[in-house]
Amino acid sequence: MKSMSLYEEKHSFLNKLSPITKMIYVVAAILIPAFAGEKMLAVGFMIFSMLLLMHSKVIRRTFPILGVSGFVVLTVLIIQGLFRAGNETVVLDMGPVAFYKEGLLFALGIAINVFNIILCFCVLVLSTKPSDMVEELVRKGFSPRIGYVFTSLFQLIPQMTDRMSTITDAQKSRGMETEGSLMIRMKAFLPLISPVIMSSFIDTKERAIALEVRGFNAKNKKTFLNESTKIPVDNVIIIILVVGIVCSIGWRIMTWLR
Amino acid sequence: MNTIEMKDIHFSYTEKEEILKGINITIDERSTAIIGQNGAGKTTFVKLLKGLLRPNSGKILLNGTDIADMTVAALAKDIGLIFQNPNDQIFKNTVLSEVMFGPLQMGMSKAQAEESARKALEMVGLMNMEKINPYDLGLSDRKLVSIAAIVAMDTKVIIFDEPTIAQDYMGKERIKKIMKDLRAQGKIVISILHDMDFVAETFERAIVFAKGNVLLDGDVKTVFSQKDVLEEAYLEQPSTAKLCHELGYGEIFLTPEEFIAMKQKEA
Amino acid sequence: MAEIKVENLKYRYPYTEKLALDGITCEIKQGEFIGVIGKNGSGKSTFCQALTGLVPTFYRGAYGGKVFIDEIEVKNVEVDDLCQKVGIVFQNPFNQVTGSKLTVYEEIAFGLENFGIERSQMRKRIDESLALLDIAKYKDRAPFDLSGGQMQRMAIASIIAMEPEIIILDEPTSQLDPQGSEEVFQAVQKLSQKGITVIMVEHKIEKIAAYSDRVMLLDDGKLVDFDIPQKVFSRTDLEEHGVVPPTYTRIGKALNLRVSETDTYPVTLQEAEQLLAHRQE
Repeated sequence: MKSMSLYEEKHSFLNKLSPITKMIYVVAAILIPAFAGEKMLAVGFMIFSMLLLMHSKVIRRTFPILGVSGFVVLTVLIIQGLFRAGNETVVLDMGPVAFYKEGLLFALGIAINVFNIILCFCVLVLSTKPSDMVEELVRKGFSPRIGYVFTSLFQLIPQMTDRMSTITDAQKSRGMETEGSLMIRMKAFLPLISPVIMSSFIDTKERAIALEVRGFNAKNKKTFLNESTKIPVDNVIIIILVVGIVCSIGWRIMTWLR
Repeated sequence: MNTIEMKDIHFSYTEKEEILKGINITIDERSTAIIGQNGAGKTTFVKLLKGLLRPNSGKILLNGTDIADMTVAALAKDIGLIFQNPNDQIFKNTVLSEVMFGPLQMGMSKAQAEESARKALEMVGLMNMEKINPYDLGLSDRKLVSIAAIVAMDTKVIIFDEPTIAQDYMGKERIKKIMKDLRAQGKIVISILHDMDFVAETFERAIVFAKGNVLLDGDVKTVFSQKDVLEEAYLEQPSTAKLCHELGYGEIFLTPEEFIAMKQKEA
Repeated sequence: MAEIKVENLKYRYPYTEKLALDGITCEIKQGEFIGVIGKNGSGKSTFCQALTGLVPTFYRGAYGGKVFIDEIEVKNVEVDDLCQKVGIVFQNPFNQVTGSKLTVYEEIAFGLENFGIERSQMRKRIDESLALLDIAKYKDRAPFDLSGGQMQRMAIASIIAMEPEIIILDEPTSQLDPQGSEEVFQAVQKLSQKGITVIMVEHKIEKIAAYSDRVMLLDDGKLVDFDIPQKVFSRTDLEEHGVVPPTYTRIGKALNLRVSETDTYPVTLQEAEQLLAHRQE
């Protein structure tokens, strides 16, 4: 089936954990190093996230994401290394330009944060069904309507892309050129986009009625077909993570008070 | 005379599954209905004719010319295809400008396009609706707009993809008349259809697709006589043919009118 | 036991001038199979939506008269208070898929979750409706991967799981291939045999003739006739109302074949065949 999700079922330890646990992990991986003000903690989380992803056999899927962000980080590294205000100590002299230690260290800090955030989100996104994640949030009191919008997007957008290709075919059949110069493409825009909008509008109205008659707006308390997937380990992990976050906040307050 | 020859056409989207498994058909001036279950390859077949898809192997010749050498836009001058859902193509805010779009794309002058569009609108019975926004029309009239939009392009071949969907009795009668008029003008009329009674009343030839192959091909009477083969393709006989079969007649009749005429002659 | 009572129902959509429904009065008993016919724009769909309360609560507009499901007057209750009693299935199966569920099984659960049905009860009802619609084998498939006929049966199953006493089907087979529509007709017949009231709008006139207990003919928002199929299809003015009688009735009229019990023309293959075979002897 076509789906936009990056998730893949590997029956791994991460797959079995509750989405909530993984969400708290994301929060912890970002907050703890920030509160503690210690870069090495972020490096620690980075390595740990990578180990988790390897264990789940999804590390390969992070490569394209890391590649793209790596490119951005590299440009930051170059710019900061060369031009950061306060650059004093030369590390690498290349004739007309020189790299400075201060700028490079600053950029390195950014790089660590960026990769840490990307990797911990990968832990969540690559191992969790989007619908499970939203369902878990709805259980915790998140609005079912907003939840519905999120989960349906994953399936309805690919369906709309299909629709788009039918419409392209229909207009091509009427002699419209869709390929070639920018001018041709711009001319093709309206005949392609208007039917998409109109037909999505019609579809959405019909779907809204179909949802309505299946009690989408019912006021009673919802139940869930699937049981909450928490396993005992989840609670242990959540406690450890929460304690970690609390400690790092405590640490931060103490350093302020001092 | 116009002909389309398909020679040993194979087609597949993915390596695993072949959708068309060697189709050999020559389409001539007879109006032709393509019938079969969903997934039998009917729509793929039509898209190949229209050049929207290219065969993996085999040739399609339009009046002797291989269409592989033509672009979709160039083919649009010769082959018109009316899509199932009119909402997939309508984008102008008046009926007239919607119908003029195709002719203008083909390079007609504005005056020519307008004349052609008016003629097409008259043919489908929408001549008083020129200034209306197509989305203010009901679905059956909107369908007629999409038919007029292709008819106005004055192509040699006109293909309909399931034109009778969501049409009531009068809508079907109108489409039937349009098809017969086009046929009388010497155009090749091809249609994918699910309504067997409609096929029996409107078409001269029927081609039955099943699992990527042509299961039956012949004049409608011959095709609809073969109850067992039709059932193999999950199809039914037309209502009148069913009655003939139940009564154990050797010969079937396709429409109530034929049946009644035969009975009255008998008496 | 759900009884439907409609009293002088009038309705006009917002921003329009014409009445979509114009003075409809009728009664439908529990367990009946009602076929609704008429040309496009005659008010068939609007009538269906008036029975579910979508008209007027969802569409607004001007409304007069009364519709009762048992003792409940539909315009006084919310759609979701009524939809566990009256279910409705629409023409396009694709637009009835929620898009938020990953399997057929979960898709059917959607309505039950919204109504807070307890989990074991939910599973029981889903299994029953999967079996009834003969789609249990697809329960782990993705909803959008089904064929049209399968998807429409899933839509029906998701309504049936809410255990309505009345099910309304608005041209449920018009987008399907012959096999898909046959699957849907057979499924609907099974529902009817279970005692569920079926109200079905359909252009496939031969099918309506074969399956309906009574046929409702609408034209221009008015109820023209509401009687057994033989009576309705034997009317001489049917085509003036934009409906063509079934093939077998047309043959019966031309050859003057009459069903003796009802003194009407035949409407089904069986009736026509019997009369013709009889005449041959």
